[in-house]
Amino acid sequence: MACGEVHSSEKRCCRMISPAHRGQASIEPSINRSDNLFSGKMVFILGVNFPERNLLKKSLESFFGIGNHTSSRLLARFNIHPTCRVGELANKQVLDMTAVLSDMKIENDLRREVLNDIKRLKETGTYRGRRHALGLPVRGQRTRTQIKTPVKLNRMERRM
Amino acid sequence: MASAWCWSCLSRLRPTTRAVLPPPSAIPRLTSAPFHSSAVQYAPPLKKKSNSMTQLKYRQGQTLRRKKKKTVERARPPAPGERKALRKRIILSNPNALEVEGMQEISAENIVDARLRGSVLGLPVPMLDQLRAVQAFKPKQGWSIFRRPGAVVRRDTVEMGRLFEKISGEGDAAEKGKVVKKVVTGTKGSGKTVHLLQAMSMGFLKKWVVVTIPEARELVSGDTAYVPVEGSKPTQYIQPGATSALLMRTVEANREVLSGLKVSQKHDIAGVKPTSTLEDLAKLGFQDPALAWPVFKALWTELTASAAAPGMEKDFQTRPPMLVAVDGLAHWMHNSAYRDTDYKLIHAHDLVFVKHFLSLLRNGQAEMKNGGMLLYATSTSNSPGVYALEVALDQMTARQAGIKPTSPEYPSAEAYSNADPRVLDLFKPIEGKEPQMELQTLGGLTRDETRGYLEYFARSGLLREPVNENWVGEKWSMSGGGIIGELEKLGRHVRSAAIPTPAAN
Repeated sequence: MACGEVHSSEKRCCRMISPAHRGQASIEPSINRSDNLFSGKMVFILGVNFPERNLLKKSLESFFGIGNHTSSRLLARFNIHPTCRVGELANKQVLDMTAVLSDMKIENDLRREVLNDIKRLKETGTYRGRRHALGLPVRGQRTRTQIKTPVKLNRMERRM
Repeated sequence: MASAWCWSCLSRLRPTTRAVLPPPSAIPRLTSAPFHSSAVQYAPPLKKKSNSMTQLKYRQGQTLRRKKKKTVERARPPAPGERKALRKRIILSNPNALEVEGMQEISAENIVDARLRGSVLGLPVPMLDQLRAVQAFKPKQGWSIFRRPGAVVRRDTVEMGRLFEKISGEGDAAEKGKVVKKVVTGTKGSGKTVHLLQAMSMGFLKKWVVVTIPEARELVSGDTAYVPVEGSKPTQYIQPGATSALLMRTVEANREVLSGLKVSQKHDIAGVKPTSTLEDLAKLGFQDPALAWPVFKALWTELTASAAAPGMEKDFQTRPPMLVAVDGLAHWMHNSAYRDTDYKLIHAHDLVFVKHFLSLLRNGQAEMKNGGMLLYATSTSNSPGVYALEVALDQMTARQAGIKPTSPEYPSAEAYSNADPRVLDLFKPIEGKEPQMELQTLGGLTRDETRGYLEYFARSGLLREPVNENWVGEKWSMSGGGIIGELEKLGRHVRSAAIPTPAAN
């Protein structure tokens, strides 16, 4: 057992070290930059690691509360072209982006807000609140067929 | 066993069934009057329906559920960039095609030879690398059907060759150092891009510096980085990645010329020494994209310099003329896909790179003191359709036909058409000493040129038809009056279409 543990920890070590090794190789100046530009490193934006090769726009949209509209506006605000990859960002741009993202109401803050809104509806006993609690559609849809989503989502203890 | 009776008929057989029933004393009486008077208790127990509808839970979906097919493991998808490389691959030779005997190569001497009209001139093998570097070949062109790449000499080619001679100063000395500015248009398949390629090959032959923008669209499609220029109003934008790529193209193709020229001006760029060549200077822009635009500006001032800065005259050599070739001009005439910080679209003319090359159209003579040629071609296969450009080109055609801008026949943009004033201004007539830009419309080949071109197909083994006057005339008409792209289609399709048919007589 002990032997197995040692092996597994070694493996983990290797995995942690290897991207750095690859990163060093890419420092050499090369004319054909497109081959060496992305060395498999990760970029840290708002507490999440993104692979360098990923599109920045898609990466931003992976945050809860950021869609096409917000992400394209964010890119324009920092003069970043729409097809920019995460790895092409300069350090300063990453920091700026993280700073702006941390001021926005996204991820858990936004989730909490939505849940609180639903909770308020329930507590004040509104029709919408009742529908949320009953697992039924809230906005006047018919209930004869096709109400899978509310059945799945609307429940007493709503989660997001 | 299925009964021959239907259910409704069986219900009429009640009396007989009643007869076999056990005595009524054992049967509890039914309180309600049933429709069927047979005893419910003696009915066979209801079979469970095979239909799972009855077992549905509350509000369970009723859609058909199938088991998902197991995903079969396939081969790994191609590595990143591999598919693009395949898509952009350019094949210049086909070993199955016959070698054309006696085929001449394009050379510095024969570019003005009018006797060669209609013959296909091969591109010299050492030049192919240069042409590849400036991306003169496009993936969808039919280079891969012949043994070696070549282009047909037409009237426009010979005229262009003469211009090259004049500007190089080999003919009339007065013409030396002139700048010829042309907007190349023409219908689809009329050979605009190949015309540019021929110009580039002539430029290489004459030892000019060839600067190309093979896809004007790439600068405005929002695929390369852009950086605002601080303090500019309206805000201008530099494209470091695209500039770096331009420098690479230019150095790769013009290495021989650039490595022979020394720096003659003072530049505020770290790493430039008085002894460094223009190649060294341009290479500074490869590694650091942030430096690319200043390096390009420096290279441009070097190439257009007519004299050295004081104190640097020692190694000064006269600079060669320049050829600037742009393909897909219409993309530079509308909003780009870039957005400013207020999320408004940036006009292509606000991109410094684009602006630099467009300003050459207005005042190229003043900016290019050593002369040269500007060829800006429109594209019909990849064009955004800009109304203002159409109007501007119509106006140019009218001016060339002698119609004055004050005349009522002079075309102008329709009212409420919202034509882009920046585009119309760009193509306005130029005042002063600066030469006007010309509109060169490529049409079809003449019949003689068509014949020479189709004979080349036949001699390459692609065409197995006797190339005679009638046949050529027919193909010339079918190709819309010698449109070369259509002729190529005819030339390469005849072989598969030439199924042996019974004799017509």
